[in-house]
Amino acid sequence: MSTYKLYYFNVRGRGEVARLIFAAADQKYEDIRYEREEWVSHKSEMPLGQMPVLEYNGVKLPQSAAINRFLANQFHLAGKDNFDQAKVDAVVDTINDMISKYRPIRMEQDEAKQKELTKTFLADELPKHLQNLEGLGKLYGSGGSFFVGNNLTWADLYFYDIAQHILELDENIFNSYPWLKENRQQVEKQPKIAEYLKNRPKTSH
Amino acid sequence: MPSYKLYYFNVRSRAEVSRLIFAAAGEKYEDVRYEQDEWPAHKDEMPLGQIPVLEVDGVKLPQSRTIARYLAKQFHLAGKDNFEQAKVDAVVDTIYDLLNAFATPFFEKDEAKKEELTKKFLSEELPKHLQNFETLGKLYGNGGHFFVDNQLTWADLLFYNYIQSFMEFKADCLNNFPWLQQNRAEVEKQPKIAEYLKNRPNLQF
Repeated sequence: MSTYKLYYFNVRGRGEVARLIFAAADQKYEDIRYEREEWVSHKSEMPLGQMPVLEYNGVKLPQSAAINRFLANQFHLAGKDNFDQAKVDAVVDTINDMISKYRPIRMEQDEAKQKELTKTFLADELPKHLQNLEGLGKLYGSGGSFFVGNNLTWADLYFYDIAQHILELDENIFNSYPWLKENRQQVEKQPKIAEYLKNRPKTSH
Repeated sequence: MPSYKLYYFNVRSRAEVSRLIFAAAGEKYEDVRYEQDEWPAHKDEMPLGQIPVLEVDGVKLPQSRTIARYLAKQFHLAGKDNFEQAKVDAVVDTIYDLLNAFATPFFEKDEAKKEELTKKFLSEELPKHLQNFETLGKLYGNGGHFFVDNQLTWADLLFYNYIQSFMEFKADCLNNFPWLQQNRAEVEKQPKIAEYLKNRPNLQF
């Protein structure tokens, strides 16, 4: 019996996709959540001094994308063959391109400047990323509502998680992107995901 | 055997790791290189309006990282099972963290500021990232010179490719990192890689 331990802070952040994958797969794991003050004493236990880290049968693995892909592969949520897995990865990379434009805005300390940057992001940057994602869903989705091959994969879970942050910027954003709206609704309807979403801790981000 | 077509510009940059993977595996592909003035006519043919793109039996796949991982998996250069592949992915993600960190000084428009930021990065930031690579190599390398499991994987090829660029900025950057120097030497020694390096177009970047 393999053992899984996930180490992260008590937030969704970069750890939530792994938790969604465990939930979708109905797989048990130890969900370790360090408060900020605790983390200091554990930092040197982690390979790169960062989290999230997955401990699999006692061996530590850093880097959230590597962790998420590994778990998805373990639990058959990654795509049915090499090429489908590549399509899933392409969607994931495209979501990452979108986030990389947004992260600097989130880090901006000056509130007035952040508001201005967010406005520009929503108007000029975000639409082309969402159009790209709809494009990939229609190209790879085999006519269904999931990103690849008409089956739930971690690309859908990743988009679901990231979209939650975007909805905090504009709660109506997906009205202009019906395919993405439907995709999220299909993810939410999965019984094990619905159960997990209902019961997970409520955190600030 | 699928037919492979790689579309990119006539530079190394984001496609070179995939060309190294084809070379290491001794696999044939069509190496399509667009000049800058040719590209606009082909932009609409690509899923995200970007290159590199890999075409496999006529189906297009965007995103350089995804392309490289797919090819590595096809040619058994990705790690022998899910967890080994995850270790390879963790090294790859750590290399991209370095590239993303270097983007700030690299894309700075003010010449004087750029010089200052670049100098600071190379002397203070880069060594921390290089230390992380040595840590992972020693953690996952099974006592050998390759990053994971004492075998060549695309993590070694990606590291080889990008460190070349850093060495052009600072030739001695690996002086304090004997494990990394040895790793690059092992990659260069592989007969098919040596042959490829000798014959590839001599490009600036």
